[in-house]
Amino acid sequence: MTRRSRLALLALVGALVAGCANDAPQDTWDPAGPNAQQIHDLQWKVFLAAGVVGVVVFAVIGYAVVRYRDRGQPIPKQTHGRPALEIGLTILPAVILLGVAIPTWQTIFDLANTSDTECVVNVTGQQWWWEVDYPVQEGCGGIDEPIVTSGQMVIPIDTKVLVRGTSRDVIHSFWIPRLNGKKDMVPGRVHTLRMNADEPGIYAGQCAEFCGLSHANMRMEVVALDQADFDAWKANQNAAYVPPAPDTAAAEGEEAFITNCARCHQVDGLEDADGEPIIARPDLNIWTGAAPNLTKFSTRNTFAGASWDTLAPACRDDVWNSDPATFGEKYLAGVTDECLNEVDLREWLRDAPAKKPMYTDPEKLGPTDGLPRGMPYLALSEDQIDVLIAYLLERK
Amino acid sequence: MVIIERPADSTAVAVPAVTASSTYGYLRRPVQTTGWRAWAFSVDHKKIGIMYGVAAMAFFLIGGIEAGLIRLQLAQPDGTILSAEKYNQMFTMHATTMVFLFVMPMAAAFANFLLPLQIGARDVAFPRLNALSLWVFLFGGIFINSSWILGGAADGGWFMYAPNSAVPYSPTNGIDFWVLGLLITGIASLASAVNLIVTVLNMRAPGMTLMRMPIFTWMALVVQFLLLFAMPVITVALFLLMFQRNFGATFFSVEAGADPLLWQHLFWIFGHPEVYILVLPSFGIISEVLPVFSRKPLFGYPFVVFSGAAIGFVGWGVWAHHMFASGLGPVSVAVFSVATMAIAVPTGVKIVNWTLTLWGGKLRFTTAMLFAVGLIVEFTVGGLSGVTHAVAPSDTQQTDTYYIVAHFHYVLFGGAVLGLFAGMYYWWPKAFGRMLSERLGKWNFWLMIIGMNLTFGPMHILGLQGQPRRMYVWTDYRAGEGFFNGALWNMVATIGTVILTIGVIVFLVNVWVSRKHPPAPADPWDARSLEWLTTSPPKEHNFDRTPTVHALDEFFHRKYEDVGEGDQHEYVQRMTGEQVIAEEEANADAHIHLPAPSYWPIVLAFGLPVMAYGVLYNVLLIAAGAAIVLMAVYGWLLEGADAHETDYDPPADGGDSSKELVASG
Amino acid sequence: MADVTIDAPTEPTEGDGTPYDPAAHGGVPESQLRDHGIGHAADGHVIHHTSTGLSNTKLAMWLFLGSECLLFGGLISTYMLYRNRHSENLGPDQLWDIPFTSASSFVLLMSSLTMVLAVSAAGRKDERNTRLWLTVTALLGGLFIAGQVYEFTTFYREGLGYTTSLFSSSFYTLTGFHGVHVSVGIIMLISLMAMLGKDKVHGDKAETVEMVGLYWHFVDIVWIVIFTLVYLIPA
Repeated sequence: MTRRSRLALLALVGALVAGCANDAPQDTWDPAGPNAQQIHDLQWKVFLAAGVVGVVVFAVIGYAVVRYRDRGQPIPKQTHGRPALEIGLTILPAVILLGVAIPTWQTIFDLANTSDTECVVNVTGQQWWWEVDYPVQEGCGGIDEPIVTSGQMVIPIDTKVLVRGTSRDVIHSFWIPRLNGKKDMVPGRVHTLRMNADEPGIYAGQCAEFCGLSHANMRMEVVALDQADFDAWKANQNAAYVPPAPDTAAAEGEEAFITNCARCHQVDGLEDADGEPIIARPDLNIWTGAAPNLTKFSTRNTFAGASWDTLAPACRDDVWNSDPATFGEKYLAGVTDECLNEVDLREWLRDAPAKKPMYTDPEKLGPTDGLPRGMPYLALSEDQIDVLIAYLLERK
Repeated sequence: MVIIERPADSTAVAVPAVTASSTYGYLRRPVQTTGWRAWAFSVDHKKIGIMYGVAAMAFFLIGGIEAGLIRLQLAQPDGTILSAEKYNQMFTMHATTMVFLFVMPMAAAFANFLLPLQIGARDVAFPRLNALSLWVFLFGGIFINSSWILGGAADGGWFMYAPNSAVPYSPTNGIDFWVLGLLITGIASLASAVNLIVTVLNMRAPGMTLMRMPIFTWMALVVQFLLLFAMPVITVALFLLMFQRNFGATFFSVEAGADPLLWQHLFWIFGHPEVYILVLPSFGIISEVLPVFSRKPLFGYPFVVFSGAAIGFVGWGVWAHHMFASGLGPVSVAVFSVATMAIAVPTGVKIVNWTLTLWGGKLRFTTAMLFAVGLIVEFTVGGLSGVTHAVAPSDTQQTDTYYIVAHFHYVLFGGAVLGLFAGMYYWWPKAFGRMLSERLGKWNFWLMIIGMNLTFGPMHILGLQGQPRRMYVWTDYRAGEGFFNGALWNMVATIGTVILTIGVIVFLVNVWVSRKHPPAPADPWDARSLEWLTTSPPKEHNFDRTPTVHALDEFFHRKYEDVGEGDQHEYVQRMTGEQVIAEEEANADAHIHLPAPSYWPIVLAFGLPVMAYGVLYNVLLIAAGAAIVLMAVYGWLLEGADAHETDYDPPADGGDSSKELVASG
Repeated sequence: MADVTIDAPTEPTEGDGTPYDPAAHGGVPESQLRDHGIGHAADGHVIHHTSTGLSNTKLAMWLFLGSECLLFGGLISTYMLYRNRHSENLGPDQLWDIPFTSASSFVLLMSSLTMVLAVSAAGRKDERNTRLWLTVTALLGGLFIAGQVYEFTTFYREGLGYTTSLFSSSFYTLTGFHGVHVSVGIIMLISLMAMLGKDKVHGDKAETVEMVGLYWHFVDIVWIVIFTLVYLIPA
């Protein structure tokens, strides 16, 4: 190889690597935590080995194809094989595979270890969103009161988090590629998955087991914060309900929420005219028996199964692309007036099943006892949508 | 069985025209040798094989259209060509169609047409059962596809995981059609498995020992054993699902305490052997094609045979590698992970043997050869990506992403489909007596190869970039930027599909224009195995003289003589293929016996979808279907496989003597 | 490393490579085995020679029964998985009537014996006894089915419907599948009897009886397995 062609090759490799630098947020080759890193340490070697074997095989085939094409040579020897060569070429791949098998075995058991857990987070899948809750525990820096959220799982960095997952209906799969491989969440069973992030940031994920109509619209994110920011987030999640100021749009929104939404969506601290707490009954109104808790809606960056952002594109990019040092602050700012992604939220409130396919057509709900799977069309007026948005914007 | 006297002299045959006996006193046995009846009631394995092929090709086009729509939808983010509902039906039916209604029956087409010819038999062991398999498969396939116009197709994915397959989650009839249709086609597979195993084990020509059997026959035999034991497992799963959906059972309902993983185990115990059911016939095909166009015997024939059998055995012990993310527990995962790596060894043996068959040969790159070499290369890609997810931790990143889609398309398109096309180009003159155009064939090959690599190659990138499967839309936010961005490679994959489609159209054009081609030579490829020891297309009775086999590659050894001494082999052509065949004709057997055509297979097969519609719409239809089936079964039993001499009515006055072997059985 | 050449052309041989031995093929010389193994025995009766020596139908039946093993294997596994998933008072402990089921199992077992007698009579070309024993076998099979219907009815009266529990669904599915197999067997026996009577059986009669016998014995053996696993082994 000449010096110039060597340089050209280097440049090409460099361009490819540079290209990798801003890869997709679900890149499986871009680990951001020790679990994914362990998988990656194993997989790149296997890919390399497979690649080398592939190149050798293709070279041999290519050589044979060129070298032995019919140029009028005599009929070749009618040999039926060479057993010694055959056996050798059987043992060789077996040895290579044994070399792969041993570290694989080790990694499988390492990744299944749950004894070193420092923080437990529960996830529950249902069509088509994830509920995330934090049981009372000493882990995660201490949680005194359960926290319930959805779509985004917030975890402290450098902490061995154990995700315990199940499902309320069909099988879903919890998968944050940069933090770990996926694990199916099966109704009637609890499966565990280790999670640990090195740096603050948002790590994207996607339900990976086909779960029906809107499988494509069932996403999730893990938000990693440093311990101080995580403590702040925790404290805010269980902070007392602040009712909207009287005679504001948000106050009207509260009424509209109670009328239209509170049957399914819980907002902790919401009270009716008699001062009684309003308890949502999704179990009576939704086939899967659950709907996202909206108490802290505007602390999250996503809604509707993490399919759409609550932040307008510019603000979203700012948060997603911020460096680890400033990420926590930006994330904890939540959704502000100027950052609200009103377009998608409005469309969602106007006609949810039109934006995200769900089983809500009243005429087709016989098999589910008349209960919709997903959020039905609510026939809200534009005014109602205005005030609901004003109300939701204050839920942080 | 009865023997029809047939003059040894193959010219000027004068056979008294006979009309067949009757069943139930009034239904006369079919005797037509031309027109649609000659096909509908035929029990000739060659006609049945061709009909299998035509039907499979039709389903291939349907499955291809489904694939095309899927790729158009995914060409760009937030695609709007298909609704979520239609998209889910589309990918479910694409897989179902390609697996159950294209590759399996196309492999059955080759097996039917070739097995008796390759082992020197006149037909399969149970000719009417063979016809039954064909019609049951065809009617079952039409039944499944009828769901498109009867309320929507199945939408749970071909793997149909519970509990997503339960009525509340899929309220339309689609999954019921799918379940009943697969039960029906399962009958076809089972019947054909029994039939072909008996044929291969029992009906070999004198001297055709097991280790002299052509390799395609061997691979087909392994496949039939896999079918024999895999079909009942999926049958159990399908019955349980049917009882759940239609009769209120709760086999997969978590509320009732069921374990949804039961379905996964049953499905994949069937599903993994199924992978080998799909790919081994093509391995057999190219193991025939490569030696012919390398002018060398298959390298390491016994190794190829035993590795095929080994794949068949080990294939039963790796099903849970489809479930590495299902939550099996580390011990199961580790064991199945290692078992899966083990199965790569016999698969590697095959690739090594094919490559060494090329080595030192005299290679002629006909279209068939191009497809065969294409298979080695593309299948190797699929095999190696397979090793990357035998590594269970790495698989938890890859499973249910496009990386897996890429992997199994390299295995199934690069493996199974390319092999089937190699087979079609190779045996087309055998089956139809005309060659396919080599010029169009090369266009066909290169368009398909480029098309498949552009379609499925980028899916490796998409999958590793985290794009899951079975999503009716993808979003720009998760596509990334730079060289590996999802937007670019999704578009490339769709463009690849267009090229692939053009390749398939070129094939259809090639078939169409081949009608006008001059008759093919009897031995166009200088072939090696027994199916070429007869005219093309073969006569109804296959061989004028039942061949006596002396060697592996019998036909080659009849043409070429070893004039070398000791270890020095040197082959000299003594006769052309035409001369060898002429010699067989000159020494034709005096007695030729052929099985009799029958109405009952097609009638019996027709009763099954009637019953299935009954399950969905009206109990009376079940009764009607059952009545048809019963009538056919008794008609079948009473008529007997062969027409006895006493079965024949006296020859009609001055019967048409030009018909050879009228209803001979 | 020497090149290996296998299978140079040779004279016709047996499957194991020894020279062709006409004695092993009913005295038929190799040249007469041309029509895929059909030859004529001395008495003019057409005989079939197969590569394995087993008749096609017999081999096919064995293969089919091998496949059936996996069908019942799947159903039995499902039952074993779910047999404890029932309500407190509607499980095997409350429902099983072991003496009754033992009696009906004995009946089915005896039907295997009578089937053997039918096969042996058919082998002796004793058509009268063949039909007699086939009738007895069918009757015993019918008795077993009657017992099963009675048992199912009793369970149903006690509240165990098909969809009551996972236990009931998998129990009825497993035993129901077996019952359908027995019923199909009975239909085969009756049809065979009728066809023997009218001389409508094609091919070798003794072999046809043997075929039905094989199926019947298989169904009996499956019942023994079911009876042991489902009824006798405590959950």
